[in-house]
Amino acid sequence: MLHSKTFVKKTRGGKVNKQVREHYLRDDIYCGAPICKLCDSSAARLSPSASTILVLDTNVVLNQIDLLENSAIDDVVMLSVVLDEVKNKNMGVYNRVRALCSNSLRRFFVFANEHHKDTFVKEMAKESKNDRNDRAIRVAAQWYQSHLGGAARVLLITNDKENKRKAIAEGISAETIESYVKSLDRPDLLDLVVQPSSEDVEMEEVEDLRPSKRKVIYTEHKPMSEITSGLHRGIYHQGKLRVNRYNPFEAYVGSESIGDEIIIYGRTNMNRAFDGDIVAVELLPQDQWHEEKSLSIADEEDEEEDVHLAPSSADDAPRTTNLVQGSAGDTNAVSSRPSGCVVGIIKRNWHSYCGSLEPMPMPAGSGGTAHALFVSKDRRIPKIRIHTRQLENLLDKRIIVAVDSWDRLSRYPSGHYVRTIGEIGDRDTESEVVLIENDINSRPFSSQVLACLPPLPWSVSSEDLANPIRQDLRDLRVFSVDPPGCKDIDDALHCTALPSGNFEVGVHIADVTNFVHPGSPLDDEASQRGTSVYLVERRIDMLPKPLTEDICSLRSDVERLAFSVIWEVTPEADIISTRFMKSVIKSCAALSYIEAQARMDDSRLMDPLTTDLRNMNVLAKKMRSRRIERGALTLASAEVKFQIDTETHDPLDVGMYQIREANQMVEEFMLAANVSVADKILKHFSLCSLLRRHPSPTREMLEPLLRTAAAVGLNLDVSSSKALAESLDRAVGDDPYFNKLIRILATRCMTQAVYFCSGDLSPPEYHHYGLAAPLYTHFTSPIRRYADVIVHRLLSASLGIYKLPSIFQDRPQLTSIADNLNYRHRNAQMASRASVELHTLIYFRKRPTDTEARVVKIRSNGFIVFVPKYGIEGPVYLTARSEKGGGEWFVDEQQQKIKKMDGSLSYSVLQTVRIHMEVVEPQPNRPKLQLTLT
Amino acid sequence: MREIELSLNQTQKIRLKRALEKLESSSSKANSNSNASVSISDSIPVNHEDGVLKGHGTLDLNGELVATLCGVVERVNKLVYVRALRARYKPEVGDIVVGRVSEVAQKRWRLDIHYSQDAVLMLSSMNLPDGIQRRRTALDELNMRSIFEENDVICAEVRGIQHDGLHLQARSQKYGKLERGQLLTVPPYLVRRRKQHFHHLEQYGVDLILGCNGFIWVGEHVEAKDDMVEDQVSKPEQQKSNKNSISLEEQEQTYTPIETRQNICRIANAVRVLSILGFNITIEVIMDTMNLSSSLNLDIHEMLGSEFCVLVAEGEAERRSLTKRKG
Amino acid sequence: MEFVSPEGLRLDGRRPMEMRQIRAEIGAVTKADGSAVFEMGNTKVIAAVYGPREVQNRSQQINDQALVRCEYSMANFSTGDRMRKPKGDRRSTEISLVIRQTMEACILTHLMPRSQIDIFVQVLQADGGTRSACINAATLALADAGIPMRDLVTSCSSGYLNSTPLLDLNYVEDSAGGPDVTVGFLPKLDKVTLLQMDSKLPIDIFENVMQLAIEGCKAIANYIREIMLENTKQLEYRRGI
Repeated sequence: MLHSKTFVKKTRGGKVNKQVREHYLRDDIYCGAPICKLCDSSAARLSPSASTILVLDTNVVLNQIDLLENSAIDDVVMLSVVLDEVKNKNMGVYNRVRALCSNSLRRFFVFANEHHKDTFVKEMAKESKNDRNDRAIRVAAQWYQSHLGGAARVLLITNDKENKRKAIAEGISAETIESYVKSLDRPDLLDLVVQPSSEDVEMEEVEDLRPSKRKVIYTEHKPMSEITSGLHRGIYHQGKLRVNRYNPFEAYVGSESIGDEIIIYGRTNMNRAFDGDIVAVELLPQDQWHEEKSLSIADEEDEEEDVHLAPSSADDAPRTTNLVQGSAGDTNAVSSRPSGCVVGIIKRNWHSYCGSLEPMPMPAGSGGTAHALFVSKDRRIPKIRIHTRQLENLLDKRIIVAVDSWDRLSRYPSGHYVRTIGEIGDRDTESEVVLIENDINSRPFSSQVLACLPPLPWSVSSEDLANPIRQDLRDLRVFSVDPPGCKDIDDALHCTALPSGNFEVGVHIADVTNFVHPGSPLDDEASQRGTSVYLVERRIDMLPKPLTEDICSLRSDVERLAFSVIWEVTPEADIISTRFMKSVIKSCAALSYIEAQARMDDSRLMDPLTTDLRNMNVLAKKMRSRRIERGALTLASAEVKFQIDTETHDPLDVGMYQIREANQMVEEFMLAANVSVADKILKHFSLCSLLRRHPSPTREMLEPLLRTAAAVGLNLDVSSSKALAESLDRAVGDDPYFNKLIRILATRCMTQAVYFCSGDLSPPEYHHYGLAAPLYTHFTSPIRRYADVIVHRLLSASLGIYKLPSIFQDRPQLTSIADNLNYRHRNAQMASRASVELHTLIYFRKRPTDTEARVVKIRSNGFIVFVPKYGIEGPVYLTARSEKGGGEWFVDEQQQKIKKMDGSLSYSVLQTVRIHMEVVEPQPNRPKLQLTLT
Repeated sequence: MREIELSLNQTQKIRLKRALEKLESSSSKANSNSNASVSISDSIPVNHEDGVLKGHGTLDLNGELVATLCGVVERVNKLVYVRALRARYKPEVGDIVVGRVSEVAQKRWRLDIHYSQDAVLMLSSMNLPDGIQRRRTALDELNMRSIFEENDVICAEVRGIQHDGLHLQARSQKYGKLERGQLLTVPPYLVRRRKQHFHHLEQYGVDLILGCNGFIWVGEHVEAKDDMVEDQVSKPEQQKSNKNSISLEEQEQTYTPIETRQNICRIANAVRVLSILGFNITIEVIMDTMNLSSSLNLDIHEMLGSEFCVLVAEGEAERRSLTKRKG
Repeated sequence: MEFVSPEGLRLDGRRPMEMRQIRAEIGAVTKADGSAVFEMGNTKVIAAVYGPREVQNRSQQINDQALVRCEYSMANFSTGDRMRKPKGDRRSTEISLVIRQTMEACILTHLMPRSQIDIFVQVLQADGGTRSACINAATLALADAGIPMRDLVTSCSSGYLNSTPLLDLNYVEDSAGGPDVTVGFLPKLDKVTLLQMDSKLPIDIFENVMQLAIEGCKAIANYIREIMLENTKQLEYRRGI
């Protein structure tokens, strides 16, 4: 059964080194066609009635994967040589092909031609790898042809001219994908066909139709060999390109070789690189470092500033590190940051994008093909040229488009249509767009995952009670305080006065790890999802609903399993001792913040629960003040809260989220629990703990805050978090909202806190800037955050309750989990914000409103305002956009003011203005919120 | 399986193969049922009711008789044992062996005879050069090296196994030091025990000793070994003084005629060829091989070539089938 | 990395339960008392046995049994990089010890008191599973030297990659970092004499993986027995009466 064949391979790993691998050729690989009499057909995948069997070439699979995913393409033989090539070239496509091959509804059969004794081809002398593979494909196609006899037609589909020619010469029927799809007579499929790039002959005629576009727009990418040597010699710098979320013509490449970020201005310098691509960058001469920027803005089309939610941290905020944009004539401030241009792309990060088509008139002969420009929702992505036959259907739709190529003759990359999500403006469609954009898995849980759940109805069993690791705390007066309507209650508290005058304070967290076992499908799914996502109208759970809302949720009057942290605290709020334990609790009340606050405020109430609340509040205030003394920042964000119509899910009202003392009380104890747990797990597992850190902002990052503050005559000390906290406290203006506004601006300058594996950094780097805590982690919300699940496992291992799952011994894997959590966490936040933005738009659609706003940033042709009531931010134009920078207004950089030339009007930063908010539709199906001065 | 390591051309390969097949068929016809080959952990069929004495190379495993060696099952009455083929020498009392001195020790020499240990030749189990029967004195002990030195080749007889190992004796004129010849080592199983192990091939003027331990001595015929030994004993001083400059007289005495030397080489090569082919080494086969080589007028070195090997194999196959037919 | 394709083929075209091609040859070193070459796919190992013979170092002599010594080495040309392999490094010391202990357990040492058996194994080509190949080669060489043994000892490795138990890992699979179980097995006595594993496995999976290796050992034992029997027959009929 085994035929051995050894062959010699040369691989480059610095050295040339001969490798010998065995290669067994077999006679028990079957063709997969049920009609075949010779082969064992038990594993056959092709349909018994297939008249045509397709054999695909690698380039077809690589480029036309979207087409292949369409169910019209079936009875396909995937050769293993093709799969290997695809795997080497593009892992994403490979995974999709594999999914197709394993999908029982599709008839894709993988034929291991490389190991079949008749279809294996040996590399010939002077034959390139590509040629050999092409030959292998032809040999396999020919084998199929002769093997199946006349029972089915075997069609080789290839877009490689040479391969097709040779195939036909060898008597194999071969076609290009275009002609095959045409022969299927399915015009909608043609949209899915990726147009070959202009190097192929067929494209040239199309290209000729657009002679204006024939000119070379981008410089050529350097060949890979030159890039490698350039990187080696330090001329080029390698890094991941990050496009500015708020200005798509500006990108950054974090380069290790230079130790700093390289700024890349303008599409020309970006040279066809997409966000996320790994690129090679060449530095521009220093004198062009700033000049280049103004050039590029003039060069490109108008940038459009949208109304959006006020950003909550530096990660979301526009990265205007230097000057106010477009301030003409301001050339003395030469940027000190290196800028460069992309010379080559090492690895593409192309995937599919959500968006819509740029409105355009229907071409004359409708029904034929049309070129259209696709505008991605993600502003970092350039417009994409696509080719469609169903323009009229797509114009008002949200669609997904994939990028195929970007040659240097065309301004925009070309791509192809993948699928339609729904109508633009439709809430469901837009919500789905939000989810897709942020890579959020909103699919229902699979049956394997659901199989991991304990049977319902679930209650605490006697075994749980008898378990020696679990303490019975059912007699404690435990209660929970959460937002109203909260169903996934993962924390509860208790506070008992001890005879000694001290207090025993407990934080009880839902014992999720009792149900989510490491390595189970449930655990895998949760670790992938990373966090629950809260949209305005729905919640996408990390764990299945029965766990989230029932089994784990610490609801009132039911016994629940918990993981408890119990302190003994002096009346001065000093922690004397800390205990951790698994427990059984029975919450006596699930309060909302409002209820809790009302109880504390109502001096007539003297029941034990209220007393506990008051005691806790006193303690929390003391702890809080001590924390602030240490330098913790009280930051503010402009969170808004919608009231949603239960029937239509339309927003009824919108307002700032109100923070009460009760919120702060709960928050204080959660912080304390997290810190205690962080201490404990780090002590036991100094190398594999999952912690959360918040890096100190650099002075550069705080620059916009300082400039704004200086403009209003405020002097902020940013030397340390404590200094900053104090100067923020001092920043009390004449109006009540001033302080909060400054705080919001400060928050915006900071980066977000991130999860990390303690072994990856040194202890000083563990610091959490915002909380002024040397150690911090997340422990208190295991129902909705996977990080907390991990921390629960670490804590129970440190208590000796359970063994540490093996994953913790694998630091790279732990690091990758931490990275995934950060990614998911960020995406979840982005999605929530996007959802709020969407609902804001829906809300204002029917309600044009006048309201108060604050100027936060000065632009050359207007200013950006922040609307505190709705938490949104947007531009107010003083001049029509067409006459940009047209002399009537001028900007005072020092004072952060924009003045009318005649001096009759001026707006300065932080000034209050009244604005009118209205949804307008400048173009059909493109509603946007417009802010104007009233 | 063991390949015969020769560089053969295609026809030689086929001829050799055919000859070996012939050998196989003749041997299998000869002993189809009496003795069967076994390999390690094969069970040996026995009839326990008759009572079985398990011998060498067998092991009782839960009532099953199992081989611990690769070889041929032999049955002698109730005794069942496995005769190993390629193994070190298994001494039996009275065996004539050839050995090499590995160590001169207290009152004894240690000899390498291809056994699992070195064999012991006591000074007392040795006829003294002067031939007188007497107690060995301290002086005799001091003079041991003048009798046999390290690396000398010696012929002796197995006396028996004592507590401290295998003892040899050399109480005859025919035993003693061997000189002016070649020592060949072949696997011991190729040399069978016979009545006669000393052969004086008069026509060649050569002595051939087929040691039971697979050490084969081919050397110039010596009539009076004692004299020579005596010679050396009587003139030890002289020997030491001018070891490098041998006197003319001595040269003549130690001179071996060229024909004798050639004969020695020829016989040695015949043994080598037989050993390569794995054929039984008996005086008859050696002589046949000798005759074959001289009848073909081959040079001595050509005897080790592949062609001669194949010829020997064919000749042996022919010979055995003939004897078979006669028998 | 994908070590088993969804079609159930490994990188070199074998199925998970298949062994590489094995080949054995007895009598590769003429000077030795016993010798053998054993190949498992591209792994090729030569073994030579000297003895039982006089103990070289008298102080090591054991009065009631034979002294077994083993030396494992890797030829400089056995791997792709042709690096000079230092003698007596930790790895070869360990493998020497493993082989010595495995072989000693099946040699009937009490039959050869006050003697010494030397086993030299050298890897001529390394492609994973050298340890197993060495044990198999040593078994053959010992049998060739006519040293009495309790039973044959054969060895085979197995691993667990892509959630599939794999028999007889080659170098690529071996260096994947997954568990690598090497089993030494006495087929007649049905006993395991050697069990080594790198990395970790849950116990229930481990049992499957080990059982697979044992099946591999049995297959090798059958092959080795055939080879030995053939060799014995050849020797016997060539010698004649």
